[in-house]
Amino acid sequence: MDAVLDTQTGLQAFRDKLQEAGACHLEACVRCGLCAESCHYYLADPVPENIPAHKLARVADLYRRHCSPLGLLGLGRRLDEKAADDLVDAVFGRCSLCGRCSINCTVGINLPRAFRAARAALTAMGKVPRDLQGIVDLALASGNNMGITREDWLETVSWLEEELQAETGDPNARMPVDKQGARILFTVNPREPKFFPLSLQASAKVFWAAGEDWTLASEGWDLTNYGLFNCNDKEAGTITQALVDAMERLGCETLVIGECGHGFASARWEGPEWLGGTFPFKVRSFLEVMDEYVAEGRIQLDPERVSEPVTLHDPCNLVRHGGIREPQRRILRKAVKDFREMAPCGTENFCCGGGGGQLAMGAYKERRIGSGSVKARQVKATGARILCAPCHNCIDQLSELNKEYKLNVKIKSVAEIVADALVNPVPAGEP
Amino acid sequence: MLPLALAAAWCGLLLGAQVVAARRLGRRPLYAPASGRAGAGVFYAFTGALMPWAKESVRGHLVTYAAGILYHAGIAASFARLAVPARALSVVALAGALAGLGLLVKRASVADLRGLSRADDFLSNGLATAFAALAGLAWLPWAAAALPWACVALLVYLPLGKLRHAVFFFLSRRHLGAFFGRRGVWPTAPQE
Ligand code: SF4
Ligand code: SF4
Ligand code: SF4
Repeated sequence: MDAVLDTQTGLQAFRDKLQEAGACHLEACVRCGLCAESCHYYLADPVPENIPAHKLARVADLYRRHCSPLGLLGLGRRLDEKAADDLVDAVFGRCSLCGRCSINCTVGINLPRAFRAARAALTAMGKVPRDLQGIVDLALASGNNMGITREDWLETVSWLEEELQAETGDPNARMPVDKQGARILFTVNPREPKFFPLSLQASAKVFWAAGEDWTLASEGWDLTNYGLFNCNDKEAGTITQALVDAMERLGCETLVIGECGHGFASARWEGPEWLGGTFPFKVRSFLEVMDEYVAEGRIQLDPERVSEPVTLHDPCNLVRHGGIREPQRRILRKAVKDFREMAPCGTENFCCGGGGGQLAMGAYKERRIGSGSVKARQVKATGARILCAPCHNCIDQLSELNKEYKLNVKIKSVAEIVADALVNPVPAGEP
Repeated sequence: MLPLALAAAWCGLLLGAQVVAARRLGRRPLYAPASGRAGAGVFYAFTGALMPWAKESVRGHLVTYAAGILYHAGIAASFARLAVPARALSVVALAGALAGLGLLVKRASVADLRGLSRADDFLSNGLATAFAALAGLAWLPWAAAALPWACVALLVYLPLGKLRHAVFFFLSRRHLGAFFGRRGVWPTAPQE
């Protein structure tokens, strides 16, 4: 027999996460339906269940019954097994929390905020999709979301350091680990050491060219945080704490988040809220740092080296929810010969379909790939041969879309493109 | 008129109770240093972001947007018409009623919008449209007599359904503006 649903715990988590702002959002929808076409799920499969307002209504029903005075009049929907399952389908199964609907809402509703509160309730009641929770559990148990051992991590870094030295011809090119007092602590997505080591090497090459004082950490190096997606703030806070501990241990000045949308949003925007205090250090995206290197002339780029047309994907958590919209554009305009914006772009860009933890939830894979058709059309329309995505989650999804929709593009991070365009510094003493 | 006063009191009390219920969920202090200004985001939310060119959802549905504006203007004029028997108010109210009727027809005839709709949508629109229509026809004695009763019905129902957005629109938009403002996302750059 199934365990009895602990609705009290669920509702408490819901209220805690919702707060006043979320409640106001839930009270405001007029079901005008104008948000429908802003959602990639609806565009790919135009059924009412995919309209953002339909998903929101499921959450609003819960609120009305259990949190609003109208619940006393029997309005809204009681939280029971069936209501919880419907909510799972709406907020886990049909939403990547990209927030495109909220900027297009006629009223001004922050829909992802309400969806996150519903996710928090479902997670508290054990209704979170198991594979998504599995990633959070793995990160909590092993210190990174792929269970990479300390030995493997250090071995990968040391191997990449040799590769970097060979590539740059500089035997002093370093990928320091646990360098005490370095200016920058650079954190990475575990997908890099595991599947995309060249991307990590590219970042290291940029630091090398800029002559940066930087380090990696032997522990607390994983920037990802799937607590942002299961919406359990306690677990999310524990994962963030590992980064804070690494900063404290190494005494670095700035925590730099490698190219990852949700990792940036977690450390920059949500982390301090999860941990209940302002960090005693700065949190910056690697894009901001590279942008500064270019602006200050610390690195030189030759756009002739990247002559194929390049287009740029805007990861929602970095751009729409993170406020990092221009640095990557300024960099690419200097690094490539033919830069083509998608339509629409920037804060209006579409999600790739892999966000909100979708990449981790096997049950919704078909919907995820289907919803990505919108991004695939955008990419194709640019005619670009290189698709630049400053987010390793997005890169995973985009790689699948590349195969599924035959886009025939090379997918690269910004650092990889910058590394390709780099004019190596002239070693001291040479003319 | 006593029924009107009672209906207004009921509406105010119930809406007030809903605002209090929302406020009781509290706000947590924000610790992440802001990139932009919450105030600038709120200002933009109530100005630039409401312009027809600011949102793809509106750019693609300009007729609906215009009907919505007219509808709301008509309802506001209808409330004013209760107190001031000016012909200009009746004209605006009538135009608003027609816009409301158009939106109702759209809701009933577009399959996905119908799928999204609930009884509340039809009732809310029906009450507000009837109110505006009566205000528009208020030069006719029977319409003038029915107008206050339509207003009573509207006020009684208002806090029970989506018409509560009369209050929550402002609160919701303010929160959204502050959110995007702090993060440096709003005000949006003009090229977008
Ligand atoms: S645009 Fe906003 S108000 Fe209209 S249906 Fe969508 S969420 Fe509701
Ligand atoms: S947040 Fe994104 S995926 Fe979710 S409903 Fe809104 S537009 Fe769709
Ligand atoms: S996967 Fe990428 S595009 Fe999609 S929500 Fe995350 S950051 Fe946005």
